Amino acid sequence: MAFVGIVVTLAGFLVAAGSVGFAAANGVRLVIVLLGIALSLGGIFGILNPAYQKDAVWKH
Amino acid sequence: MKRLVLAVALAWLTGAGSAVAQTPAPAPAAPPPAAAQPTPVAASAAKAITDEDLKSISGPKPEDKAKGDPAGTITGTVNDIPVSDSKKGLALDDLVNTVGQNVIAPNFIWTLITGFLVMFMQAGFAIVETGLARAKNANHTMMMNFMVYGVGMLGYWIIGFAIQMGGVAPNTNLGGLAPLNHEVAISLFGKNWGLFGTQGMFLGGATYDVGVMVMFLFQMVFMDTALTIVTGTAAERWRYSAFILSSLFMGAFIYPLFGNWAWGGGWLATLGASYGLGHGYCDFAGSGVVHSVGGVTALAMAIIIGPRIGKYSRTGKPNAIPGHDITLVLLGCFILAFGWFGFNPGSTLGAATSGNLRISSVAVNTMLAGMAGSFSGMYYMWIRYGKPDASMTGNAFLAGLVAITAPSGFVNPMASVIIGLIAGVLVCLSCEVIERKAKLDDVVGAISVHGTNGIWGVISVGLFADGRSNYAGAWNGVPGSVTGLFYGDAGQLVAQLIGVATLIGFVFTFSFVFNAILEAVWGHRVTPEVELQGLDIPEMGALGYPEFVLREEAATV
Repeated sequence: MAFVGIVVTLAGFLVAAGSVGFAAANGVRLVIVLLGIALSLGGIFGILNPAYQKDAVWKH
Repeated sequence: MKRLVLAVALAWLTGAGSAVAQTPAPAPAAPPPAAAQPTPVAASAAKAITDEDLKSISGPKPEDKAKGDPAGTITGTVNDIPVSDSKKGLALDDLVNTVGQNVIAPNFIWTLITGFLVMFMQAGFAIVETGLARAKNANHTMMMNFMVYGVGMLGYWIIGFAIQMGGVAPNTNLGGLAPLNHEVAISLFGKNWGLFGTQGMFLGGATYDVGVMVMFLFQMVFMDTALTIVTGTAAERWRYSAFILSSLFMGAFIYPLFGNWAWGGGWLATLGASYGLGHGYCDFAGSGVVHSVGGVTALAMAIIIGPRIGKYSRTGKPNAIPGHDITLVLLGCFILAFGWFGFNPGSTLGAATSGNLRISSVAVNTMLAGMAGSFSGMYYMWIRYGKPDASMTGNAFLAGLVAITAPSGFVNPMASVIIGLIAGVLVCLSCEVIERKAKLDDVVGAISVHGTNGIWGVISVGLFADGRSNYAGAWNGVPGSVTGLFYGDAGQLVAQLIGVATLIGFVFTFSFVFNAILEAVWGHRVTPEVELQGLDIPEMGALGYPEFVLREEAATV
């Protein structure tokens, strides 16, 4: 799952950076960039961190 | 053309009443306009001047100089202008070159001295982090903060500076920086995307240049600031050898790459010129480049290395692990605030011409935001927990400073206070989320102070930039002033958010992957026995406080 998390995190960046090529209107770009940020945050806190927490030192 | 420039300069000096201007000057062709309009005076007095005219200018006599100059009126005159040909005497070339040197010299001095102030921030970080760690880890924590300076500098000197600034030329403040002239770029969506520079490895070849040296020193101390953020988060359990390797890589590659994109002429900086997004990604002094890069790398390290033994109970409830010296912590915050007067105002890279007198505004914005952050953070803690917590008040002070770092050159004092007030509360909320929801152990709160508030600072440029700054008429190659959403430019906010996405999505990933590989092949964390004993003896061979009686700690809570 950690690998999936890092891929999703990176995908968020690619979506946001690609917004300038996908759309010409700043409003549309803004929405795409916010989606990209949400995707990256989801990758870090929703997938990657829980994957590492499964084996956290305090659970033993 | 040179003569015309000189004539204008001399006419201006006449108005300024300098020693040179006290000598006979060409009569003005028209009556002088009001004093409040100096430019027309200069223009109307413009007249070609020859070497012969300069010969009529005389300085103070040696016998007058021998009497001393208590008023300072005969020191710094025509006598002090070096001449290239003593037989010929003072010539126009000498005068023009001296004017040029006197434009660049204050920029050099300003940038170097502010760089020295930023270097001193390492001392602030060192005692903040050591104070927030336990006494049994004082030597180890202090040594990480001490050696991160040298380790980071080594990586940056070898290749980091070239990646970040190797294609930054031209820069008018520091004499052009012509040797830093090659940026590797790819073509994407019909535009060039600058990826990294190539000039300046080992500061060799043509980069053995006075202007490049100034730029290297200033950028190097910024890079070290980012690196030392990570040591705070991973303190009390990070193997010293792993810290060395991780910091070397960060100084050589992670920090410089984003630094290039934002400050070295890379693709983030050119979002304005290429895609009409305001002035491109704007980060005046590094909320994103320095603090967020450090903050997201600290986040990656916190996930990989895991919490300290005893930080969480078996049910996941967090336990407070107080630092050993709050006096060090608050003294460190003051040292950092002092250094911030180099960090932000110094980021003009000059004090003369090109709108650089705005350094006063930048300095005031910096101090106001720090004050506002400490107030809002202190009151948040006081209201929520019943006491004005000292360490969180210190962190809120730093959060205000971190947040104002990106917008300090583009916003007004009122906006600075608002940015600081929000930062002070934001750092408290972020610390709670990181500790309680994400269950990440951040010893000093660096993820929240530098990561969260660095990102807030980047966003705040896109909101509060008031369009009143003017740095030589353009920023990132886009004419005009940086203007945020509240002053009419939504495109600037989009550019800032793309920068945020790059920090969270790319810089975090880059840092995480490298440190995960390092974890697999080398190992970041000390053994539980070493952690319980304290890292000072096992890792460093000596206690930070040999005369202290250290308390035994239980393996579980």
